[in-house]
Amino acid sequence: MPLPDVIPFIGLGWSDVLFLLLSGVVLAAAFAVVFGRDIIKSGLFLILTLGALAGIYVMLGAAIVAGAQVLVYIGAISVLILFAIMLTQSKVAPMKLAFQTQVAPAALAAILLAVLFGLAFGSTNWGSTVFTDTPAATGTAPVAAALFGPYLLAFEIASVLILAAVIGGLYLAMEPKGDDVGEEAQ
Amino acid sequence: MSQIAGHLEPYLVLSGMLFAIGSFGFLARRNAISMLMSIEVMLNAVNLAALALGAFIPSLAGQGAAFALLIIAVAAAEATVGLAIVIAIFRNRKTPLVDEYDTMRQ
Amino acid sequence: MLTAETLVEVGTLPGYAPLLLLLPLAGFAFTAAIGRRLGKLAHLVPLGAIIATWALAMSLAIPALTGGLGEAGASMPLFTWIASGDLSFGLGLHVDALTGALLLVVTTVGALVHLYSVGYMSHDDSYWRFFAYLNLFMFSMLLLVLADNLLVVFAAWELVGLSSYLLIGFWYTKTAPGLAAKKAFITNRVGDVGFALGLMGLVVVFGSLDIHTVLAGVEAGALAGPAATVIALLIFCGAVGKSAQFPLHVWLPDAMEGPTPVSALIHAATMVNAGVYLVARMSPLFAASHDAMLIVAAIGIFTAIFAASIAFTQTDIKRVLAFSTLSQLGYMFAALGVGAWIPAIFHLITHGFFKGLLFLGSGSVIHAVNGEQEMTKMGGLWRKIPITYATMLIGTVAIAGLPPLAGFFSKDEILGEAFKFGYVWVWIVGMIVATMTAFYMFRLMGLTFWGKSRVHDESHVHESPWTMTLPLIILAVPSIAIGAALGFPFADGVLVHALEPIFHPASEMLGHEHDAWTLFGIDGLLMLASVTVASIGTVVGVRLFRSDYNEFLGRVTKRLQPLYDGSRNRWYFDDLNDLVFVRFGRKFANALWWFDRRVVDGTVNGVASLTSSGGRGLRQIQTGRVQNYALGIAFGLVAIAAAYLVIAG
Repeated sequence: MPLPDVIPFIGLGWSDVLFLLLSGVVLAAAFAVVFGRDIIKSGLFLILTLGALAGIYVMLGAAIVAGAQVLVYIGAISVLILFAIMLTQSKVAPMKLAFQTQVAPAALAAILLAVLFGLAFGSTNWGSTVFTDTPAATGTAPVAAALFGPYLLAFEIASVLILAAVIGGLYLAMEPKGDDVGEEAQ
Repeated sequence: MSQIAGHLEPYLVLSGMLFAIGSFGFLARRNAISMLMSIEVMLNAVNLAALALGAFIPSLAGQGAAFALLIIAVAAAEATVGLAIVIAIFRNRKTPLVDEYDTMRQ
Repeated sequence: MLTAETLVEVGTLPGYAPLLLLLPLAGFAFTAAIGRRLGKLAHLVPLGAIIATWALAMSLAIPALTGGLGEAGASMPLFTWIASGDLSFGLGLHVDALTGALLLVVTTVGALVHLYSVGYMSHDDSYWRFFAYLNLFMFSMLLLVLADNLLVVFAAWELVGLSSYLLIGFWYTKTAPGLAAKKAFITNRVGDVGFALGLMGLVVVFGSLDIHTVLAGVEAGALAGPAATVIALLIFCGAVGKSAQFPLHVWLPDAMEGPTPVSALIHAATMVNAGVYLVARMSPLFAASHDAMLIVAAIGIFTAIFAASIAFTQTDIKRVLAFSTLSQLGYMFAALGVGAWIPAIFHLITHGFFKGLLFLGSGSVIHAVNGEQEMTKMGGLWRKIPITYATMLIGTVAIAGLPPLAGFFSKDEILGEAFKFGYVWVWIVGMIVATMTAFYMFRLMGLTFWGKSRVHDESHVHESPWTMTLPLIILAVPSIAIGAALGFPFADGVLVHALEPIFHPASEMLGHEHDAWTLFGIDGLLMLASVTVASIGTVVGVRLFRSDYNEFLGRVTKRLQPLYDGSRNRWYFDDLNDLVFVRFGRKFANALWWFDRRVVDGTVNGVASLTSSGGRGLRQIQTGRVQNYALGIAFGLVAIAAAYLVIAG
């Protein structure tokens, strides 16, 4: 039996419900990331956030980006973050106090930013098309055309940037050179 | 007929809220790694907005996705360097808390 | 003076004319530099310089007075002092009959005072300094009378004031001379403010301070009405200060703290005449304003009677002579004020000689009684110091105005012309002052020379050396004769002929006409009147003071005690000055000082402390923590975005 068009008792379509579910997960996990006491739990909730966001990207028809999100963000960056958390564990740091003294002004700034976004988004005429279901999936062709067309320079620079980041990260995280420190110690 | 998922506005609202949450975390958390995680949240919010606009506005068909890919690349590079710096400072200071990094104060 | 009608050529001075200025200046420079080492011989160069200057001056003055230089005199432009845009002030020398008259008095009395100082100051340690200052003074005074540009006159005016300050305060280690010198300088300065303002007015009107240009302009009518009155009175301010007229007379009695030769030279014969010279030189300017002339005459004659009334009761011999000088200067200004220009200059000449004589004589008396200046401690000196006594007696008769000595001629002309031009009040007051003058001068003679001796140490009273008595004898000659030499026949003498062309434009502007002199008419009557009053004063003075303490005098004094006290205290004018300017001025200055400290300095310090506390406050922002800075960025972003939203709709 095919699924009904509209879910009974709620009156929303399937895509709407999916969207609400996913966005709920995203927001809850984001809150957990930001408000969580235990930093490892924050890291794990970050992974959850990024995963739910990938789902929303699929809904928006950008499957490529969703794939990149999972591969890069969850697979590499989040792992990197967890490693760093592990390396910077410190018994000395008090675990209780998670928030700075400037919590209140920070909250105020965040709320103001949200309000501003709302105003900015609301007062612009986007000329957006309204879809019956979810937006149409964009294929690889338009993306590739954009990347190797107008965004070619940005693409190349991004690769150089990644190279620089790798080298820089390696250098920064290296232990100090053995010769000078070693001789002084002896 | 979808009432939410087929319109642009809900996606933008979600993006805005995510950005606000992320900026709050960036400004208010004491641990340096928490700050970096909040930055990732903020970047993802931007990604979401770019993709949503790319999907709903016909003239920006492939550009939203291209933009988002580039942002992911940059975010990766930035996370790398940022974490490397935090680890380096941790080696010196033995603490990951940013309010202890205040040797430049007057 | 060049006028439109009489295009008289101005001659050229002989080439040695600048020596008149350079010789005293060189004397000053030489003595100032090397004098200390010359010890008792320090007087040779200055004295020589002055005698040479006298000779040169006579070679110019005598032709000037006898018509040898022509009606308009002779001049020698030297160089341009200031040339700036439209304004140009040059220095040049000009000698005419008026200059000649001044040169006569200044150089003669100056040379004699130099000779006198050799003897008078011989015991002083700073012998050389005295002669240096004397030469400086001579230079300044000669510059003042020879200059043909009012700016140079003003500069010389100040230089003369400076020399006077240096000489009054010669014994600067004592308090009183220092204070007196300061008082003289400050009072002069007050007058000089008016003088400078007047000069500025002249520059505004004429664009130049060259005397010929200014006077030609005034005679042509370029300056009239209220402007002329204001400028004339401002210039008169300078004369009031320099010639010690009321209310700026307060410095002259105090200036007697200086050595007696200084009093003789500066405060009797030369510097105080600078004011008279200035007004006489600017006679067309004063003639252009009837109100200014009136004020000049009023102040002059008031000073005359004011000072004479004080001289009645003074007991310091030099102070009596000082007030006498004030009184005679008042006469001169009264003469100028009524338009009797020539009698004023005549009196200037005669007064210079006999007042110089009287002062030098008093110096000889003081020298004889070992420094005592109070007449109450003198008496019976006529036998002991005969030369001094004889010459001073001649001087006294001259100043009393008894014929045929010099004073009679000049004083009689002043009073006569005052009456004839219609200023009867001036004539009446002048008559009273003549009586008073004779009286207090013979009082001076009586207390000093006659009666029983009240001297402290009689055995040491001795006549002065020849360097002091010779000038006295020499000065006695013009005191007797110069009146007749220059003023006889009446209204037709040498001086009248010499000075007539100079004052002709001014007299024309005033509309004064010279009637022929009639012995059996009004002139004879006036002469008889003035001789009478002089005689009355003389007789009363001689009778009351020729022997010792007089009962009658004692009773009169007791009856008029308040008047006596007032006169002794110079009518409390110095006390008034002290109250208004010193006490009140000090309070005012303190108030201003409070204001400066609290408000002005407070503001400055307040700004500084505000800045530093502001800085201290702002420093709190630099916490060194990245998150605090990030919060700042976030708020900044919010603000800019909000602004953009609002502005761009």
